[in-house]
Amino acid sequence: MTPALLMEGVRFRYPETTPYVLDGIDLTVARGEWLGVVGPTNAGKSTLCYAAMGLATEFFNGALTGRITVLGTDIRKEKVIERSRRVGMLFQNPFTQISGARERVDEEVAFGPENHGLAPELVAERVKESLERVGLSGVAERHPLDLSGGQLQRLALASLLAMHPQMLLLDEPTSQLDPVGTRDLFGVLNHLHQGGVTIVMVEQKLDAVAELCDRVVAMAAGRVIGIGQPEAVFNDIAVQDSAGAPSYTRLARTVGVKPPWPVTFDAAVRALHA
Amino acid sequence: MPEIRLTAVTFSYPGNVAVFNPPGVSLDLRSGTIALVGENGAGKTTLTKLLNGLLRPAAGSLVVAGEPVADRSVAQMAGVVGYAFQNPDDQLFERNVYDEVAFGPRAMKRPGDRVKAAVERALELCALTAEARTHPHDLGLPDRKWITIASALAVEPPVLVLDEPTLGQDWTARQRLKTLIRSIAAEDRLVLMVTHDMDFVAEACETTVVLTHGTVRYNGATARAFDDLAMIEDAGLDLPATTRLGVALGFTPPPVGDAAFIERYRATRG
Amino acid sequence: MPRGLSIYAEGTSALHRAHPFTKGAITLVSVALAFIVPSLPWVLGLAAILLALLAWARVLARFVPIAVGILLPITLLLLIVQGFANPANRTVLIALGPFSLYVEGMRVGLLAAARIFDLVSATFLFSFTTRPADFAESLMQHGLSPRFGYIIQSALQIIPQSLEQADRIREAQQARGLETTGPLLRRARAYIPLLLPLVLSSLVATQERAMALEVRGFGLPVHRYSRIVLPDSGAQRLLRWALAALVPIAIAARFLGWR
Repeated sequence: MTPALLMEGVRFRYPETTPYVLDGIDLTVARGEWLGVVGPTNAGKSTLCYAAMGLATEFFNGALTGRITVLGTDIRKEKVIERSRRVGMLFQNPFTQISGARERVDEEVAFGPENHGLAPELVAERVKESLERVGLSGVAERHPLDLSGGQLQRLALASLLAMHPQMLLLDEPTSQLDPVGTRDLFGVLNHLHQGGVTIVMVEQKLDAVAELCDRVVAMAAGRVIGIGQPEAVFNDIAVQDSAGAPSYTRLARTVGVKPPWPVTFDAAVRALHA
Repeated sequence: MPEIRLTAVTFSYPGNVAVFNPPGVSLDLRSGTIALVGENGAGKTTLTKLLNGLLRPAAGSLVVAGEPVADRSVAQMAGVVGYAFQNPDDQLFERNVYDEVAFGPRAMKRPGDRVKAAVERALELCALTAEARTHPHDLGLPDRKWITIASALAVEPPVLVLDEPTLGQDWTARQRLKTLIRSIAAEDRLVLMVTHDMDFVAEACETTVVLTHGTVRYNGATARAFDDLAMIEDAGLDLPATTRLGVALGFTPPPVGDAAFIERYRATRG
Repeated sequence: MPRGLSIYAEGTSALHRAHPFTKGAITLVSVALAFIVPSLPWVLGLAAILLALLAWARVLARFVPIAVGILLPITLLLLIVQGFANPANRTVLIALGPFSLYVEGMRVGLLAAARIFDLVSATFLFSFTTRPADFAESLMQHGLSPRFGYIIQSALQIIPQSLEQADRIREAQQARGLETTGPLLRRARAYIPLLLPLVLSSLVATQERAMALEVRGFGLPVHRYSRIVLPDSGAQRLLRWALAALVPIAIAARFLGWR
């Protein structure tokens, strides 16, 4: 099966700027994989997502060289609105992702499928299912602006899920949320991952990345500086110096545990008990 | 002499949304690094807005750095309380970072050379010196957040209030923030941080104030704030990673912060 | 968070259930007739009809504060201004020292006030009984481009959100030492730090919203079904045409001497 996302020799610049925000990226994301993207601010992580969605070229009009293939289709051969049926993208700000044109949560979720011309009965089905998947069935009739930030983020996700996307691109989805909102969102994503959705997630919460992701790619200055399983990537000193490390990794290293250092809570408990 | 003293302060929003009920909140805070934590709705932001007069109490008194807040306008309190709000886009409007940071001290009619020195120092502490001539909106959200922090610093206030400063910040920025608030506190000033980020609290804040439903449940050393795990859970707070790990390894009382954890760990290893 | 500019009042009356175009027709025709019909008794008659419709829709109670808060002051103002100063004044109604209120002027004032009453009550009748989303939907079902429909629907939410942000901006700038009270020059200087953040944030928000719309397929050239079913009927269509016909009839009657 073709990879969910394939980037070959990708270099990208925003218009009227000189530096390459993506400076030679080669990346393969397998179907059903949960890939975490980590790195310092301005490493190019968000731009990676924008490029995969097609927004970098179509919306921002940046200059792209190299090849990006999304679910088997070259990025240049499909418009973003067409791609939106198979790929969903979630942004950081919960408040600017709702359409603003719907007065009920369930009508908001219906917005996407309606735009895609799905028949009303199918839309109703998708809405019900999506609200259940994100745990918002109880507030289906509320006004979107009555929801908390965390709930709004899940609403935005539900409106993407209603189109049954095969891949989700998430740009720091929890960065503006409180701990409760963060936990709820990660819970939903975990379920989706178990259901086979491919997830590419940019995140600063490295503890969560280490727990949840199948693989991690570490970026710095537009390049990949590490890629592999969380245990491997977070044990790399170069990655630690640039992106930081999960708390448990840092602690284990400081108390003098021998490498490889644990990256998750459970592994840390085992390593430190020993 | 406490920098901040609240005495029997009560407050409710219009529509009878009570935040601080009678007998009211009483709180003494001294200079240093202080974390204000609690669930959403506990009253954290309300409390900080009472400090600079944006909100006025129904009863009780507030004295901040010797100033009775009731007798001062918000603009007058701006020289006493530097406030960095959560959303930087609620305040950015100047054409470059320098002018944005200089806005506060200029509004207070401070002499030019004092403004220059304060702005340059603030930019340096916030790693924005290289961006002094950049348009704020050409910078990403995390950097725009730093502009608001620099802006609050440039006023050289005895009290600095930061609202969720670690949201969306990377590892290097968190370290920079820790260094910054420690150097401010070392000048005998007070840094009050409203936050949900318990790992940062454990590393950077000497004092923690826990608010639940408008009541102060704890006001004391961060190192002892997690001794009563039931209270922490009741307050809806997460544990810092070090504490969570320490509890799992059976350390009592639970260690808070890397240094405490390492010390306890080495002690148990003999 | 503020919810939206809509003042729609939930209800199950016949008016609530009527097609938005029918209610629109009632409103537009009422407003037109209010200014076309020649004399006070007709305008008041129309007002009575509108009040009856408001009662039928069970929203009369909601209308009372508006009537008192907006229409009453306007009516008094018109009565007083016209009563004192209308050039056709001859007959004194009430003498108040050196000033007098004249019958002719007060009649003119009353007519103007009654017309405004009809205008406002007809507009509120529509707003109370029609969901903005339904209204935009009915336009889109009859050919309005989805982009324009979206603009209508989103304006109603975005405006209150902006107002709330304006408050936050004021707080943030005051907390930095901005004076917003006092001499005119000082207040005038406060406009830029209060307005610019709103403008700049709107630009940022617009870009974010636009991307969110794109990734939800907004603008695909497909046939859009709608979950919102707006029942219409032959009877309603007939009513709309009948109402519309009243306007040219009234105009013609005026021409032919209707007083």
